Amino acid sequence: MSEITLTSSDNESFKVEKKIAERSILIKNMIGDLAGDDDDGFEIPIPNVRSTVLKKVIEWATHHKDTSFPDDEDEDSRKSAPVDEWDKEFLKVDQEMLYEIILAANYLNIRPLLDAGCKVVAEMIRGKSPEEIRRTFNIVNDFSPEEEEAIKRENEWAEDR
Amino acid sequence: MDLRKSCHVQKFDGKDTKHRTLITAANSKSNSKANSVEPEQLIIEEELSSNDDDNVRQLTPQEKVQDTKLIPSDNYHKYCYRHNPDVQTNKASDFNKMNEIQLNLERIPSKDQNMINSIWSNFGSANSFQRNLILQGLLTQCCFPQLSFISQEISSLIRIDFISTLPVEISSKILCYLDCASLCNAAQVSKKWQKLADDDRVWHHMCEQHIDRKCPNCGWGLPLLSMKRAREFTVETNKQTKRRKLSSSSSGSSSGSFGSSSSGKPEFKTRPWKTVYSERFKVERNWRKGIFKTREFKGHKDGILCLKYDHKYLFTGSYDTTIKMWDINTGECLKTLESHQKGVKSLVFDEQKLITGSFDSTIKVWNYHSGECISTYRGHTDSVLSVDFYKKFIVSGSADRTLKIWNVENRTCYALRGHLDNVNSVKIHSKSLTVFSGSDDCTIRMWDLKTNKCLKIFKGHIAEVQKVIPLNLPEDYELSQDINEGDEEEEEEGEDELSEDASEFGTIDYNDSTREYPTYLLTASLDNTIKLWNVKTGKCIRTQFGHVEGIWDISCDNFRIVSGAHDRFTKIWDLQTGKCMNTFSGHNSPVTCVGIGDSSFASGCDTGLVRLTNFDIM
Repeated sequence: MSEITLTSSDNESFKVEKKIAERSILIKNMIGDLAGDDDDGFEIPIPNVRSTVLKKVIEWATHHKDTSFPDDEDEDSRKSAPVDEWDKEFLKVDQEMLYEIILAANYLNIRPLLDAGCKVVAEMIRGKSPEEIRRTFNIVNDFSPEEEEAIKRENEWAEDR
Repeated sequence: MDLRKSCHVQKFDGKDTKHRTLITAANSKSNSKANSVEPEQLIIEEELSSNDDDNVRQLTPQEKVQDTKLIPSDNYHKYCYRHNPDVQTNKASDFNKMNEIQLNLERIPSKDQNMINSIWSNFGSANSFQRNLILQGLLTQCCFPQLSFISQEISSLIRIDFISTLPVEISSKILCYLDCASLCNAAQVSKKWQKLADDDRVWHHMCEQHIDRKCPNCGWGLPLLSMKRAREFTVETNKQTKRRKLSSSSSGSSSGSFGSSSSGKPEFKTRPWKTVYSERFKVERNWRKGIFKTREFKGHKDGILCLKYDHKYLFTGSYDTTIKMWDINTGECLKTLESHQKGVKSLVFDEQKLITGSFDSTIKVWNYHSGECISTYRGHTDSVLSVDFYKKFIVSGSADRTLKIWNVENRTCYALRGHLDNVNSVKIHSKSLTVFSGSDDCTIRMWDLKTNKCLKIFKGHIAEVQKVIPLNLPEDYELSQDINEGDEEEEEEGEDELSEDASEFGTIDYNDSTREYPTYLLTASLDNTIKLWNVKTGKCIRTQFGHVEGIWDISCDNFRIVSGAHDRFTKIWDLQTGKCMNTFSGHNSPVTCVGIGDSSFASGCDTGLVRLTNFDIM
């Protein structure tokens, strides 16, 4: 069982099983490029991810090391699939951590994690009024009252169904 | 601003030390100042702190130094979210917090104020690693009530405007997971959100998921509105402002055509996808809520027997032996076609021609633009009850118990025998070149148009079958089915008959890629029910009850079925669930024929009245 060392932006190193690390397509491709070298024990710097976030991502990949995810091409089933219960628990973190996990999943090219993260954010928006959304994400309303009225009218059609 | 940036960009390297000394100097300076003039110091302190979050103001040199406190904790964007100068939205709560601190600070002796200030200053001048160390130390000293206080404070502090600050493609991805009501609310949050939530790509995705199909997430499907679009198209072509080609071909263009719409013909003026969506959404909602306007078409002197319509014309056939052509949008009768000797029981039309079947046993082909009868087909020995056509074929069903296949090109005619009574309804399924027929003998038959052989018999109705509609539904279209449908005995009976004269029957090769067989069959009968059949198994999988007298006619699209019955009612049914969505009164005699469009349905009755019920109203 070959192991790989991942190093976070703040220079913390994590030894990870190759199979787990390869949940990241970015890392998988890097390993592919480096193949032929000594397969064991090489070190990959992940300069865009902090250690606490990298730790979470590795935790996710470890849990899902044997999960088979729907095909990348199959947009529809990926879209409609609800977030896996374990993932939902896993992503019950503060917004900063969620934010960084999403960015890390994007950077490391871990599609299922990115999907789950995005769905969790979508759930935070779903069914909320504009004011509730602003409160959830601490956003300042930068519309003038006239603009706000106009936009409200423009979007009224979707309200009752 | 440049200086500011260079301060922010500082990382965890040696340069930190230099800055720290600078800050310490600045702090001690302000501290000494504070000792002498307390109130002023406090004000400065507040300004400085709040300024951390207000990046628009001009900076005094002192503030610039103070700014170096903001050591980045994040490498992606060089700034952490909280101190990113681009994030201008979430400063309000920080400002409020600052005022609160100010008030509390004023309540304690100046000595203590100074002590607290120095703790803040030290923390402020520390680098990221040191800050974490200080915090860890503080946390270990905290009692649970204080930890609880921290946890509450933090949950309100860490709020991130994901949509505005994530890379656009990720924000779009998130928005694509939303339903349309949430998306419309998102557009009202702020200017940035509006831009992203109204983005054409997001709404194009919404359109792809909903128009002419049921969305797997929310169960809503929206009408294609090809009729409406076609109407706009022709009107606007004259004005030389053409519309987006959402659904240009009226026949079965589906989501596949969306992709090509953005590229290609540059002369098409494009409308936002959100508009395209909302237009259809309103129509669908009206369908569901039963919000409509009606138009009446009066003129026939006797009962209506059949009707068909498109976005321009409505054709009606009557017992009064005439066919009337109406302007669907104004209700005006444009032409009256007279030539049949008896009532006109069936009609079909396309862009050029109209084909009618009559109780006078003939089939007539008309040029409806000129009003001329082009040709008459004689051959049936009794009333022609149903006609359909595809390319060179005309198929007719008759009271003489036969179907006839008329080849218009070589003027040949072939009779299909098998039904034991009147053939009330015939329908060509063009993709598989098969014909379906429903008869007074209570059965439905499936015929091969190539070999003229019967392929299958569907048994289950207990009274005369009045209408047959073959359907091709996508595989993921989940139709609700009845439990325990498809009685075994009946099935066996059917098998027996098949084996009796096996030579008479053709076989179906479902693997033949040139022929796409229908997946389902929808039928209506005078036994008051609508039945849904699985074509492959030949079994009835669903029966829809609701009409209290026989059903004379049904019509359907991808979403719903309209039915007209002897009980004088028309009903709208959900095709997927089989549930009755609405019941319409309005006719004071049996409803003999119905037709359905994207945003309307038509119904004709025994007293000669035709109504169009239109849901395309705002």
